[in-house]
Amino acid sequence: MSTITIKNVTKAFGDVVVLKEFDEVFGDKEFVTLLGPSGCGKTTMLRMIAGFEKPTTGEIHIGDRVVSSDKTFVPPEKRGIGMVFQSYAVWPHMTVYDNVAYPLKIAKIPKAEIKNKVESILGVVHLSQYASRYPSQLSGGQQQRVALGRALVAEPKVLLLDEPLSNLDAKLRESMRFEIKEIQKNFGITVVYVTHDQTEAMAMSDRIIVINRGVIQQVGTPTEIYQKPANQFVADFVGKVNFLKGEVKEGHIELVGLDQSIPYDGVYKGKVVVAIRPENITLIPNGQGSLKGKLLTQFYLGDVNDCRIDIGGEVIRVIAESESYGALQENQEISLYLKDFLVYEDDGKDDHTSIIT
Amino acid sequence: MQPSIAPSKKRFSFDFQFDVMWLIMGAIILFLLVFQVFPLLYLVFRAFFSTGSFSLEAFKRVYTYPLNWSALRNTLVTATLSMFFGVLIAFPLAWLVGRTNLYGKKFFRTLFVMTYMVPPYVGAMAWLRLLNPRVGNLNVFLQNLFRLESPPFNIYSVGGLVWVLTTFYYPYAFITISRAMEKMDPSLEEASRISGASPLRTLWTVTLPMMAPSIVAAALLVFVSAASCYGIPSIVGAPGQIHTVTTRIIDFVYIGSQEGLTDATTLAVFLMLIANVVLYVSTFVVGRKQYITVSGKSTRPNIVDLGKWRIPITVLVSIFAIVIVVLPFLTVALTSITVNMGRPLTMSNITFKYWERIFTRKAIIQSAKNSLVSASIAATAGIVVSLVMAYLLVRTNVKGKRIPDFLITVGSGTPSVVIALALIMTMSGRFHINIYNTLTIMIIAYMIKYQLMGMRTVVSAMSQIHPSLEEASQISGAGWLRVVKDVTIPLIAPSVVAGWFLIFMPSFYELTMSTLLYSTDTKTLGYELFTYQTYHSQQTASALATAILILVIVVNWLLNRLTDGEFSI
Repeated sequence: MSTITIKNVTKAFGDVVVLKEFDEVFGDKEFVTLLGPSGCGKTTMLRMIAGFEKPTTGEIHIGDRVVSSDKTFVPPEKRGIGMVFQSYAVWPHMTVYDNVAYPLKIAKIPKAEIKNKVESILGVVHLSQYASRYPSQLSGGQQQRVALGRALVAEPKVLLLDEPLSNLDAKLRESMRFEIKEIQKNFGITVVYVTHDQTEAMAMSDRIIVINRGVIQQVGTPTEIYQKPANQFVADFVGKVNFLKGEVKEGHIELVGLDQSIPYDGVYKGKVVVAIRPENITLIPNGQGSLKGKLLTQFYLGDVNDCRIDIGGEVIRVIAESESYGALQENQEISLYLKDFLVYEDDGKDDHTSIIT
Repeated sequence: MQPSIAPSKKRFSFDFQFDVMWLIMGAIILFLLVFQVFPLLYLVFRAFFSTGSFSLEAFKRVYTYPLNWSALRNTLVTATLSMFFGVLIAFPLAWLVGRTNLYGKKFFRTLFVMTYMVPPYVGAMAWLRLLNPRVGNLNVFLQNLFRLESPPFNIYSVGGLVWVLTTFYYPYAFITISRAMEKMDPSLEEASRISGASPLRTLWTVTLPMMAPSIVAAALLVFVSAASCYGIPSIVGAPGQIHTVTTRIIDFVYIGSQEGLTDATTLAVFLMLIANVVLYVSTFVVGRKQYITVSGKSTRPNIVDLGKWRIPITVLVSIFAIVIVVLPFLTVALTSITVNMGRPLTMSNITFKYWERIFTRKAIIQSAKNSLVSASIAATAGIVVSLVMAYLLVRTNVKGKRIPDFLITVGSGTPSVVIALALIMTMSGRFHINIYNTLTIMIIAYMIKYQLMGMRTVVSAMSQIHPSLEEASQISGAGWLRVVKDVTIPLIAPSVVAGWFLIFMPSFYELTMSTLLYSTDTKTLGYELFTYQTYHSQQTASALATAILILVIVVNWLLNRLTDGEFSI
């Protein structure tokens, strides 16, 4: 059983606090993703679980063993963790076989057994025929698999992955996602995955932890994170979103400076921010729907039609069905139907315009 | 699962690693303090307190003596001119070899870099033969060719000195400049091209200004090397009564009296001052600017097409290489098999007795053995220091790690004569350490002067190893030592070997410090060669020099192989 318990961990480098009071339990055999923009502290958290960094305060437990606290610190080599690095960190002076066999050699496992285990793991990562090659003779994707094989060979209960797919091309990235997920299920291991790529996080995770500026923003399943983002940052970072400022009046929200309003009967009062995902807007014939506007540009992307629509002072993005591309003209007056939208209290602190995606 | 007992044990060893590091760094600092900082400070002290109390008496005496004045002037003039010509040669060469489609670039590069590893006095020996005012081979050849009334060149002149200094110190500038050129981000030049600038204009408006700090650093390096050179002025200058600061210092030491030593000290302070100023300027003024202009990532430079000039320029570079590199080396090699140097080299005038001599004469073998032993020990000790320093500098945040780094840089920037003189004055029993007349003092001198080369090589190799390679080993279960053994050492091994040779080679044929530090039992190869050249038999000296040349070529080839052709000093 391998839960990871992080108790109130804060990490500071000198005066700079990179992670603030991180408190979370990762369940056994769970696939947890730490998601956030670069510099948010997600990699630091991962490196603290690995033991490459010491928390400034707080405790980390792996299973029921304390690996990091005020009194104890277990160095990385004693934690029994598998890890895949962003740069792969495949040793250039060792063959694929030797790279993968390394953790077993360290553990002083008999040679015959090492051979069996390495061969079986090379099969899992589809590298059996490359065993005697050197990393320089491998492609990026293959090196990635070597790193994965090396991390898995000692059958760790916990696997850490630090942006493992960020150096691969798009197609390979997609297929690796499913491979990693598959391996995790078959091996029954706890995975902590760090990425800034939200699609990657959505595709693989049981739970996502969204972090910004060292603070957890939301913890939830991919559906929760996407459909009910806890705040404007999460809404913006995960998926695409249009933000509109508004004010709640009886039964509707008046959009600031637009002379338009949308129906609303929720709990918020006063100033609010409305968040609408582009795919939750449907284009309908003029004169119907809750909002009206003028089509500025449209881009045919094959699967969808990506539109910019001026709704009287603000430009919003709408992702429409691809068939609409031929039917619409630029500068055409158009009406919009909102399938779904989110409302946040406008406390003035979360300035959505400062978050650029 | 076990709770916290095992971890706390491991924690001890984690801290222990740092304690060891502190200890080793302490030992290095102590070594440098005792054998470098203290002697150098004492040297300055001695210059001002020669009579026991503060006095400028020694300065007055030394700097009012006309011969010393002319030595000072000669040093400044020759060093300045060599610097000027050296850069003038090195920059176009570096550009041609690094940035154009010149034919045989790789070969030329190897050739020019190799010259760096050849002892400078070999050049002096060769040019002495070629440009002797009466019988110099090249002089005679040119005189006959152009039907001149008198030989065109006289090597025994300030001009001759500048010529030899330039031909043997321009590689210093070449290496510095071409390294910077290779590291420069080509997109900066591409941006200029796309803005409409021609290749030449780009060179002038982008490349050159961005290279300026490196060029200045290269120039200063040539200046200080030429100013502290002893081998060349003692071989080329002495016969024409052209003295430099270094030859004067050594003359004063040879006088043997206290007054002689004081005078030497006083002159040495001048040389040290120049070197320190140069070091300061190139590290803290120029060095800092360099980081702004040069991007750290390894990039593929864009190559300028020389077009119709490709062949003429290749011919020009070839002629240069023949005159500056091949001709001198060939001259020395041929001298070593000549019976009578006044006659042309015909079958009857060829002999191998000098080669036989250098492999049989006891004194030479003993000196070679001394050099081999002291250079090997200096290289080994130096590389150990380098490894520790590289680990400290690249992988730890130990406070004060910059101190030994700084001291090693200063040591290497200090002229050889000054180091040797300072060691003589402090290590001959006056302060309870007496290692004068031993190989130990030689080894220490070599380390102080040359271990920087080893350190730079190992440090740069270490900083190219991404920390995650080591972390991957650690997360696989390897302890600190195991990580070093399995990952770090194998990856930096070629650089360690290269670094070892970079300390070994100059130590092996070292002349200047050996001249001051030798005793009857501890003569070195460089000194032996020098005495043969000056007093006994130029052929024997040439045979020794040729043997050294061959060694340099072999080592150079070896280093190229080891580092996959990536080797550059």
